[in-house]
Order: sequence, then structure tokens, then C-alpha cells
Amino acid sequence: MSESRRRASRGSQEEAAGHGNGVGGRSRPDRSTDTGEDDEGAGPSGIHEEDDDPARRREIRSQYRDLINSVQQNREDMLNPANNKLFDVLEEANKLFANVRQAREAALDAQLLVLATDLGREKASQLHAEGSAFDPSAFAEHLLSFMGFNRLEEEEDGDAGLDGYMPPDAWHRLSKRAQHCFKTAPSFHYMFGSFLAEPPPPRQRVERQRKAPSKEAKRIMPTQLKKMEESHQEATEKEVERILGCLQSYFADDPQSPILYYEFVVDPTSFSRTVENIFHTSFLIRDGLARIYLNSNKLPCIAPVEEGELEPGGANTRHQCVVSISPASWREIIEAFDIKEALIPTPKVLSQES
Amino acid sequence: MSQNKRVASQNRKSQAMLDEDDEGSFTQPSASQVQRARENFTPVQVDRKVAEVVQFILIKDQKKIPIRRADIVKHVIKEYRSLYHDIIKRADRTFEQVFGLKLVEIGSKNHIYILTNKLEQSREEPISMCPANPKTGLLFVILGVIFMKGGSVKETLVWNTLKKLRVDFGEKHEEFGDVKKIITDEFVRQKYLEYVRIPHTEPLEYEFRWGQRAESEVSKLKMLQFIAELHDQEPQSWTQQYREATSAENSQR
Repeated sequence: MSESRRRASRGSQEEAAGHGNGVGGRSRPDRSTDTGEDDEGAGPSGIHEEDDDPARRREIRSQYRDLINSVQQNREDMLNPANNKLFDVLEEANKLFANVRQAREAALDAQLLVLATDLGREKASQLHAEGSAFDPSAFAEHLLSFMGFNRLEEEEDGDAGLDGYMPPDAWHRLSKRAQHCFKTAPSFHYMFGSFLAEPPPPRQRVERQRKAPSKEAKRIMPTQLKKMEESHQEATEKEVERILGCLQSYFADDPQSPILYYEFVVDPTSFSRTVENIFHTSFLIRDGLARIYLNSNKLPCIAPVEEGELEPGGANTRHQCVVSISPASWREIIEAFDIKEALIPTPKVLSQES
Repeated sequence: MSQNKRVASQNRKSQAMLDEDDEGSFTQPSASQVQRARENFTPVQVDRKVAEVVQFILIKDQKKIPIRRADIVKHVIKEYRSLYHDIIKRADRTFEQVFGLKLVEIGSKNHIYILTNKLEQSREEPISMCPANPKTGLLFVILGVIFMKGGSVKETLVWNTLKKLRVDFGEKHEEFGDVKKIITDEFVRQKYLEYVRIPHTEPLEYEFRWGQRAESEVSKLKMLQFIAELHDQEPQSWTQQYREATSAENSQR
């Protein structure tokens, strides 16, 4: 494989060298003997040991890279017809190539040669036999003068001349003169744009419409939620107070006869109202506004707590219990207590509607 | 980087295919088709179409990007397709007689049109109506260098020359902004410049050439005269360029 690569690179070198001859008279007498040797030992295992010395090869490669770099860096310089630098580079490459034994180094040599031929071609293109040559840098200098560029003294010390003052209208000045070379059609523009002024296109309108409700919905949603929470809380409080009122008025009617808990909370016409009553009544118990006790028949009774009555008993008399009720037990209770009507009247207005 | 290149070239390929597709919808109408179309449409209708084409091209020209025949057919001419040649001919006459412009088909292969100014511009009288576009100056420098260097130059030469004029392609210029984009994109799309890869270069190198618009819009002779003026020399002293400029001038007329 290395053999074929070497052959290929050598081929391009020879071809390129033919080009180079025209410019710099490049000749490589030592190369032919070199390659002759190479061919003998070009088999896969035929590489001599001294040829394969990695340190030596590395050094050659580094020298090639330096050379390539210097060519690339000093490109403009090498193109100058006044010097012979391109030739010097080729000489140096010839010296390096004497020690090249393997494809990698040869490839670098080829790379350098491509670069050198390219430069050679460019150098040759400067040699227009007819008329005067065109020098872009001189052109640029003349342009600068035309544009009203003000050279300051520091500019003289060479370095690409990046000092100096460029008037703000420099390019306008050049354009004004240069546009005589252009047959550009003047482009006209409508004062109010190229389209008829019409109400905004329908697409926009659709967008706006779609946007508006979503915005409103967003705005409404949270307030609605707040209201619901509030009203719900308020409704519960109101309901609890209402039930307390009921309890107190029943108690006041006849303080001696105990009010049976089940008779109090059960609404024989509605199971859900019953559950609600139980729920609301539990607040009365929790807040210490009512108490539940068992009468002589072991049936729970409910009575409002008089003001100041709670204090002496203290917290130790409080207990928790869970009231459970199902539609079946609800019906049983109605039958057992023979409940005809609800003691707690159904609230006239539903809390949601208020 | 190379991948970008590949994608770009693919895009170009698909673009080319698109163009072909567009062109596919435009088949040369036969003589009998043209005849029938001429009978089908009233002169008033055709007049109206011509006016529409003129307006379309005038507005499209604002950006100075060449106008594709496929676009004219697709957006304006539509069902008058078989009268295309009649309509374009008459539109061109309108441009010449009314506006002093010329409708030029550049590159007969891709069927794209540009407008050029037919009226001779006198040196003395400043064109006060449209203030000079500073980009014209930039374009002049680049086209000038290309022309004087024999038709194509490496991009590095252009960048180096511009750098001497305080325009650095890597930096934002206060007058032009993104110079590299203007030169390698805007000017290229407007067909003032061609920006092509030089084959077999590693690392990649590009060169500039004159684009088709420049060829029909820019007078090489006037350009050479101005350049000579700058150098305080006679235009004839650049023998080769002078020869090319004069022959181009004669062929343009």
C-alpha cells in the first residue's frame, strides 16, 4: 500500500516539477538515484531499518512543515518578481527530499510542491508581456487618495499603513464617480410600499380572535376559582351558624327534654342532606358550641353549650368519634325513630347560587 | 466544514432540479397554440397583462436580484403562457420607450432577466435624483481588480486590497456592516460577482469573477478609463485590458 502511495505522490511531483521548470528551473538530479533505491526496497517488509528510524522521520516531517508554513506566511513576499525566494524554497526541499524514505514524508514533499507550483503560476501570470502590469496595492493607494484619505506621518513606517484618517463620505465619493461605469437601472420605490394599503390581512385577524378569548379565559379562571373557594367556605360557616341557631332555638323551646342526635340531623326526605347535616354539626362539636352525650337509653343526644360552660370541663372531657352512615342505616334510623320531617330545614338558597 | 459544503452543494442541486421543474411547466408553445391564444384573448386583456408584467419586473428589480422567467410566468402571466414571447417583447418595448430601461436576459440557459439603464449618463451632471449607493464603490473596487487581473482573482487578493482601503472582511464595517456577506452573498445573488471554489486546493480557496449582471451592466471601457485616471496614465497603457474593453463596448451596442 505504501508503495502505491509513494508512486502516486512521485507521479504528481514529477508532473508538478515539469511546471516548475518553466519558472524556477527546478531540477533534482539526486532524486532519480534516490527513487531507484526506493524501488528496490519497496516491498512490504523491504524497508531498511535505518529508514524506519521514527526520530529521523519526525525531524524530516517537522522540517517540511516549517518550510510549508514559511511559504504560506510569506506568500505575498514570494510573489514579488524582484526576488528569488521561491527558488530558494525549492532548493531547500530538494535537500530535505534526499533523506525521505517513506510515504508520509513524501506526501509532505508533494504538498509543498503543489504550493510552490501554485506560486510559480501566479508569479508567471504577473509577467504580462504586453502593456504595464496592474498592481493592486498601487491601485488601492490611488483609490485612497481619491477617497480623500488623509495620510498621517506615522503611516510612512511601512506596516500596511493602517493609520490615517478616512473621511466619512469616502465611499460615497468613490461611488458617485464609479456609478458612471454602471448602467444600473434606478430602482423606484412607492412612497407607501408596493402594496395597496388595506385593512390587515385576514390571517392576522384570525390570530387576534384566537388570542383574545384565551386571554380572557386565563384571566377569568383564577378569579372563578377563588370565588368558589370563598363562597364554599362562607357557605359552610353560614350553614354551621344556621344549624347552631336551630339547635339553640329547639333547646330554648324545651331545655328539659334532650334532643336526640339522630332526630336532629336526619332529613327523612334526603340522604345527602342528612350527610351534610352530620358534617356541619360536627363543626359545632369541634368548636365546642355543642356537646353530645348518651342519655339513659344509651342514645346520643345533642345540646348546645352555654357560654362559659366549657371552661371548667377543660380539654380532658373532649373525645373524638366517627359517625358513619349509609343509605341503608339512614332508612333504618328513620324507621326506628319514626322521623317524619327534618328538624333542620333545608336552606332556602343553595350556597353555590349566592 | 466539508459537511456544510456538501449540504450546500446538495441544496444547489435540488435548487437546480426545482428550476428544471419550473421550466418544465413552461414548454415552448406551438405556432397553432400561439395563434389560438391570440384569438382567445382580447387586445385589452393582453395590454393589461403587459402592464402587469412591467410592474412586476419594476418592483422585483428593487432588490437587484435577477428575475426568473419561471416566476414571471407563475405569478403574472399564468394562463396567458402561450403568449409569453409576445408579452415579454411588448414589456421590453415599454421599458425602453417609457422608462429608458432595457430588459436583458442574462445567461440564456437559466432564463433570468435584469433591467439596465439605457440612458447615457453624462459625467458633468450629477445624478442628484438617486444618491450614490456606497456599495457601488465597493463593487467597483472588486470588479476593477478582477478585470485588471485578467478575469479572475483569488479571494485573498480581494480581501488584501480591501484591507488597504480599511475594509476588513472579518470585521464589521461602519458603512457596509458584514462585508463578507455583502460580497460573497448579496453581490453573488445579484449576479454582479461569481464566487467559486478553485479546484484541487487544500485548504479550500475561492476566486472571484465577474457575474452575468456585471457583464451587461458595467462598461469595461469606462471602468478602465476611471482606473487610468486614478493612476494618472492612459487607458491604452494596459494594452490587453484596453483591447478587451473596447471589443466589449462594441459588442454591447
